[in-house]
Amino acid sequence: MAMSKRQRAKVFRGVQYGVLIVAIVLLAVFADWGKIQHAFLDFEVAAKLFPNIIVVALKNTIIYSALGFAFGLALGLVLALMKLSSVGPYRWIATAYIEFFRGVPALLVFIAFAYGVPTAFQLRFDTYSTVMLALGIVAGAYMAETIRAGIQAVPKGQIEAARSLGMSASRTMITVVIPQAFRIILPPLTNELIMLTKDSSLIYVIGLAASERELTQFGRQAMNEYRGMTPIVIAGFLYLIITLPLGYLSRHLERRTGGKKVSVV
Amino acid sequence: MSEVFVEISGLKKSFGTLDVLKGIDVTVNRGDVVCIIGPSGSGKSTLLRCVNLLEEPNGGKIVVNGVELTDPDVDIDKARTKIGMVFQSFNLFSHLSVLNNLTVAQRKVLKRGEKEAQQVALRNLERVGLKEKANAMPAQLSGGQQQRVAIARALSMDPEVMLFDEPTSALDPELVGDVLGVMRQLADEGMTMLVVTHEMQFAREVADKVIFMDGGYIVEEGPAAEVIGNPQEERTRTFLRRVLDPTHHGPGDPE
Ligand SMILES: Nc1ncnc2c1ncn2[C@@H]1O[C@H](COP(=O)(O)OP(=O)(O)OP(=O)(O)O)[C@@H](O)[C@H]1O
Ligand SMILES: [Mg+2]
Repeated sequence: MAMSKRQRAKVFRGVQYGVLIVAIVLLAVFADWGKIQHAFLDFEVAAKLFPNIIVVALKNTIIYSALGFAFGLALGLVLALMKLSSVGPYRWIATAYIEFFRGVPALLVFIAFAYGVPTAFQLRFDTYSTVMLALGIVAGAYMAETIRAGIQAVPKGQIEAARSLGMSASRTMITVVIPQAFRIILPPLTNELIMLTKDSSLIYVIGLAASERELTQFGRQAMNEYRGMTPIVIAGFLYLIITLPLGYLSRHLERRTGGKKVSVV
Repeated sequence: MSEVFVEISGLKKSFGTLDVLKGIDVTVNRGDVVCIIGPSGSGKSTLLRCVNLLEEPNGGKIVVNGVELTDPDVDIDKARTKIGMVFQSFNLFSHLSVLNNLTVAQRKVLKRGEKEAQQVALRNLERVGLKEKANAMPAQLSGGQQQRVAIARALSMDPEVMLFDEPTSALDPELVGDVLGVMRQLADEGMTMLVVTHEMQFAREVADKVIFMDGGYIVEEGPAAEVIGNPQEERTRTFLRRVLDPTHHGPGDPE
């Protein structure tokens, strides 16, 4: 019995749905839902996490990410300008910095920053400054490349128009190039912010007091206290509350700017 | 007695091994309109861009209103404020409104106050017939409107000379007239202008002098009626035949 192409496609699709339904039925029948829920989403435990998981942990995650992003952005801009400089040593320093901090695990940098820098330089930072510097130092390396690509994506005619009106090179950079570059790189920068929000979970290594804990550290602590994964699952959901809207924003911005892709090498 | 306002002598420019300008002499008198015509790649844009040093000449001398721009010690940013430039692709600042396009350099370069800059801007928008577009963004304007805003932007710096590089070449045919109208009005008001164009009608009617360039040299120059109406050089004739009656000559037509 020969089947037409269309009939064959229909049968094949039917088989796929069949397999899916069988899998769901098996899962529903044989999995011990009570146990699973107890391990991952115990409502009694969940209730005990509030409100601190919001007013302490989520708040700190947001503050740490914002501080790290702000410092990283400033540092990234400086590095990007150094990388585009006509002065050779500036370019070399920026390149070395970027390659180094993109190449080593962020966790190592945080450890070094938390324990090495204070002893080596006789400096004492409060937690917020430490987090801002540690996160920003790494984020700056990533953002530098994005910003550089954005600056180079500004059409040459814009620069020529500015110069022909008598603006100096630096005035042109500040007034025309950088504002336009940031418009172009808003979508990738939003993605950097998402990465940074997740990386902020690593700063537990610097040692945080109870009131300074962010989502991951808060979740780990609560996990030890209450046994079970519930705090970690809730922390995960709270990360999504930050990252999903940012991801949506990034895609929206990308569409609005006509999906102009900036190549980041 | 007319006074020499722009003087270019022995101008040379090359890109790597490509010699684009091989010794150009041009004088423009105050208040005159000089049109530069010539085939694609003959160096017209390069010549114009040398006049405000967007391209750095390799040799020769450029003097604008008594200031030698080719002097290495010249304050080029200051000199450029007196030289307005209008580009083929408009180059309005895409992140700024029309009004801010016109005020930004007045404020940052000429250090004019916000209020004065806006008054100057609105006056110049009115000159090009676009006062009602002051708050629009460049992307909301047609090509012809963008180019008129670009002209108003240059005029807001109170330039002494205006450079136009094929200002109508990127426009739909029905929008060309508006831009040429503004340029004609400027010429009537006595602005000194250096215009690269393929609009022969405009050159005929407005230019005090027409320069035909080819192969890095000036081949022929003189009053429009002579250079366009009665060209002496064979190369000028070939070029004009092609421009004035493009359908009779394919792209591969021999010179
Ligand atoms: N920045 C540059 N680098 C290398 N070559 C260039 C550069 N600018 C122009 N050229 C070359 O110089 C020559 C003259 O260019 P130019 O733009 O001055 O010609 P044009 O007469 O204005 O032509 P068109 O009518 O097409 O605008 C061309 O061969 C061009 O490829
Ligand atoms: Mg050109």
